[in-house]
Amino acid sequence: MEPPEHHRGDHRCHRPSAFDKMEGLVREMQDTEHGGVPVRSQKLFLTSIPAAFMGYDLIEWLMERLGIEESEALNIANQLCQYGYFFPISDSKNLVVKDDSSLYRFQNPYYWPWQNRSPDNVEYAIYLAKRTLRNKQRHGLEEYELESLSNLKKNLANKWDFIMIQAEEQVKASKGLKKADKLVADSQERAYWRVHRPPPGMVGSLEPCPVPTRSWNGGCRTRKRTIEDCRREVELLRNSLSKTRVKVSQALESMVQHVEIYMEYDPLITPTQPSNPWVSEDLTYWQLNSPLVDVPTEKRVRRWALSMEELVSDPTGLQEFTNYLRKEYSHENIRFWMAVNDLRRSAQSQIAWKVQDIFEEFLAPGAPCEINIDGKTMEKVHQEMKTPNRFTFDAAQEHVYTLLLKKDCYPSCRNLSAVHWEPPRRASFSVPATTLPTDPRKIASFEDASAASTGARRADVDDGAVEEEIEASRGSVSGPLSPANTSGAPTISVSSVTDDRLAGKADDAPTEATADDTCQKPVEGMSKKPMAPLAEPDAESPCSEQPPSEPGDELLREGDAEGEAKSNDVCPWEDE
Amino acid sequence: MENESKDCPVLDTIESLTKEAESLKKKLEDERLKLNDVTLATVAERLDIINYMNIKPRRTLKGHQAKVLCSDWSPDKRHIVSSSQDGKMIIWDAFTTNKEHAVTMPTTWVMACAYAPSGNLVACGGLDNKVTVYPLSLDEDVTLKKKTVGTHTSYMSCCLFPNSDQQILTGSGDSTCALWDVESGQLLQSFHGHSADVMAIDLAPSETGNTFVSGSCDKMVLIWDMRSGQCVQSFEGHESDVNSVKFHPSGDAVATGSDDATCRLFDLRADKEIAIYSKESIIFGANSVDFSVSGRLLFAGYNDYTVNVWDTLKCVRVCLLYGHENRVSCLQVSPDGTALSTGSWDYTLRVWA
Repeated sequence: MEPPEHHRGDHRCHRPSAFDKMEGLVREMQDTEHGGVPVRSQKLFLTSIPAAFMGYDLIEWLMERLGIEESEALNIANQLCQYGYFFPISDSKNLVVKDDSSLYRFQNPYYWPWQNRSPDNVEYAIYLAKRTLRNKQRHGLEEYELESLSNLKKNLANKWDFIMIQAEEQVKASKGLKKADKLVADSQERAYWRVHRPPPGMVGSLEPCPVPTRSWNGGCRTRKRTIEDCRREVELLRNSLSKTRVKVSQALESMVQHVEIYMEYDPLITPTQPSNPWVSEDLTYWQLNSPLVDVPTEKRVRRWALSMEELVSDPTGLQEFTNYLRKEYSHENIRFWMAVNDLRRSAQSQIAWKVQDIFEEFLAPGAPCEINIDGKTMEKVHQEMKTPNRFTFDAAQEHVYTLLLKKDCYPSCRNLSAVHWEPPRRASFSVPATTLPTDPRKIASFEDASAASTGARRADVDDGAVEEEIEASRGSVSGPLSPANTSGAPTISVSSVTDDRLAGKADDAPTEATADDTCQKPVEGMSKKPMAPLAEPDAESPCSEQPPSEPGDELLREGDAEGEAKSNDVCPWEDE
Repeated sequence: MENESKDCPVLDTIESLTKEAESLKKKLEDERLKLNDVTLATVAERLDIINYMNIKPRRTLKGHQAKVLCSDWSPDKRHIVSSSQDGKMIIWDAFTTNKEHAVTMPTTWVMACAYAPSGNLVACGGLDNKVTVYPLSLDEDVTLKKKTVGTHTSYMSCCLFPNSDQQILTGSGDSTCALWDVESGQLLQSFHGHSADVMAIDLAPSETGNTFVSGSCDKMVLIWDMRSGQCVQSFEGHESDVNSVKFHPSGDAVATGSDDATCRLFDLRADKEIAIYSKESIIFGANSVDFSVSGRLLFAGYNDYTVNVWDTLKCVRVCLLYGHENRVSCLQVSPDGTALSTGSWDYTLRVWA
C-alpha cells in the first residue's frame, strides 16, 4: 500500500465537519443584535460579573433555534461546553451546563478548538509558570497542575529560562488591561487549558480517535490512486451503466411491504409474548423460541409461511420441511441444498473431499440420492468439477432451490401445513376449548396433516394460488383478509377462553400444558397468571402496530356463533 | 466515449481514466434520475406514525478499564463479546451482567471483535493488524488456544464470520477487505477498491449470501461478491468517513452512518440513495448503525453520547436514547431483535429493551 500523503504539521487537515457546525451555532449565539443569547454583566451577591450569560437563556435559545426539546438542547449545550466554546464561570472543574441561573462565558475564538495547532507543552508550561507569579489566592495552582509543572520543569529543563522569561513578559503585559477585561481574559485562558489539559479522570472531548490515521492524517487520508484503481473504477461504472435498475417507486413499495409484514415479528415494535426477557426477567420467551423445539409457537409457524427463506433459516422449520420431504420421498433436494451450504462454509482443507462426496451422493450417474437437474446445469457441474472449489455446485444448488424446492415443494408443504399452520390462529381467536386438539404434538408435525384432508386439498391448488387456497379453507370468515394482513392478524388478542382452559388444564395434565402451546403459545407464564398479560397488547407500548381490531372481532363473533361446527371444518385432526 | 477508450486501452493514463470515470458518473446519475419517481416518505404515508417508544436501559456492563470500541452479540441472544482500548476482550453474559472471560490482547485499541455462528469462537484484532481467533471453553484459559488467522498491512477495523466458523471476513486501514480460512490462515480472497481505510463491513442477510458491503474513509459504500472478489456496486453521497454499514433485513438496501452527521439508506435495486436521516440539531458524526429486525427502526450511535432512533420509512426521528457519558462507539440489535446493545467511550456497555 502507498503511504498516505501527509500534510505534516497541519492539524487542520482532518477537521471533522462537526467543528464547522459548532462554530456556526456559537457565532449565532454570540450575535446579540440578531437574537443571540443575552450576554451582560451579571450581579452575583455584591460582585459584578462581566460578559456572562445564564444557563436557561442558552437552553431556551437552543430550543428555539433548532426546534428541539429541552433534553436535547441540554445535551448540545453540554457538548459545546466540553469542546470549550463556553465555560461555567463559577466552576472551573466541571464543564457542565445546567438549565438554571448559573453563569457561563463565551470562549475567545482564538481559543476555540481547531483554530490553532494543538497546544504544546512549552505553552502549557508558560501558562502554569505565569500563574505561580501571580496572586496565589486567585491564581494558585491545583494539585494536578503543580504536578504537571514540576514534570514539565524536568522535561523542559533546557528551555526553562525561556519559559520563565515568557511568563514574566505576559504577566507584565496583562497589567495594562482593565480589570474586567483581565478577569475575562484570565478565565478564558484557564478554560482553554481545562479543555486541553483536563484534570486526571476527567473526560476530554479532544482526545484523539481510536484510529491513529484518523487523528493526524486528515482529509488527505486517501491513498494515492494507481492506474489499477482508475481501471477498476471505470470498469465498475461501465458495468453499473449497463445494469438494469428498478424504478424507485417499485423498490420503495417492496421495502415498505417487507417492513409492514415483519413489524409484527419485531420485538422492539410489537411486544413479544409472553414478555421480553430483558424487561420481565422471565426467560419463557427464549425457552419457547429455542432454535430446535418440539412445538414451535404459532407465531413462529406463521412466519414460515411468509417465504421459504424464513422456513429454512429456522432450524426447527428446516427440520419440519425435511421431515415433510422425507414423507414425500423427495428429500434428496433439501439434503443436497444443505450439503452445498455446508460445503461453502467448510474449511479449505475439506473442500476437495466434500466436493467429491457431494458429487457421488447426488449427481453422479446412478448416485444413491440422485437429484433431478436439467442437462445444462449438469453440464455446468461437470465443467466446475474440473476445478473443485466451494462454489462448484452453486448453479445446481440454485436450480434445486428455485425450481424444485421453492416452486414445488415449499408451496405444497405450505399448503399441507396450512392445516397446521393455520388452525392455531383460529384457535386463539375463536375455537372453543372443547374443539382444541387433544394431542397437539401431532398437529405440530407435518405427518398427520398430510393424510386424507390434505391430499384432496392439494389437488385443487395450483402454484401461486396458495394464499387463495388458505383463504378458501378458512371460509367466509377470513375471506376479506388480504395476504398482508393475514400475516398481521392479531394472535393473542382474544385468548381468555383458552387461557382459562389452559390454566385449569395445567392442573389435571401438566405434561400437556406445554404441548398445548402449538395452538396457543404462552405456556408457563400462562398458567401462573391466566388472564391479564396476554389478553391485551402491552399497554406500555402504544407504538405496537397491532392491526385494527375489526377483523378479529368479526372472527370472534362468528366463531362464537358457529364455533364448533366451523372449527370441525378446519380442524381435520379432530377426526382422529 | 465508452468505445473510444475500449479501443485503445494501451493509452490509458490516470488522467484519461479519471476523465472517463467522470463522464460515466454523469451518465449514471442521469440514468438514476430517470427512475427517481417518488420519495420514500411519500410511499410510507399510509403507515402509522411511531410516536412513542418504550425502550429503556435494562443492563449496564461494567468491567472495561478503557473505551469500549466494539461489541458483538452471540447467536445465543444473551452473550456479548466486547473489546476495548486497553487491549481487553470480555465475554459477558449480558443477561446476568457476569463476565465469563476476560482476555488481554498483546495490543491496545482492539477495534474489532466478532462471535462465530456456533457461539464457540470469537475473533478480534486492531492495531496489531491481525485477526486472532479464540475458541471459548469454560474450563480453561481461552488464550491457550488462540490462533492468528490473518494479517493486514495496517490496523484491522472490523471483522465478521460469514455464516461459518471456518471463515473470517476482515476490513482494514490498508483499504482492503479480506476473507480468511480459519484453519489454515490462508487468504481466500482479497477485496480491492476502496482508496482509504475500510471502517465497517456487513454480510447480506441470506443463507447462501455471497454478498457483503463495506464502508470507508473514502466516503464510499461498496457492495462485493465474495466469490469473485469483485466490487459489484458502489454508492456515493456521504460527505465524510463512512463509519458503519448495515444491510436492511430485506437484503435490498444498506444503511450507513457517517462522520458527516447523517445516516443514509441506499437501495441496491434502485441503485441509489433513497433516504437521508439527519436533523439540524445533530451535529456530530454517527459511529454505528443497526436495524430492528423488521427494518422499520434504525438505531444510530453518535459522538454526542446519544443514540437516535429513526423511523426508516417515514424518515423522521422517533426518539433519542440518553445514558452514555461519552461517545457511543458501537451498537447492535440482538439476533432475535429483543434488545439493543451499545458500547461507549465511557467504558461501559448497555443493553436496552
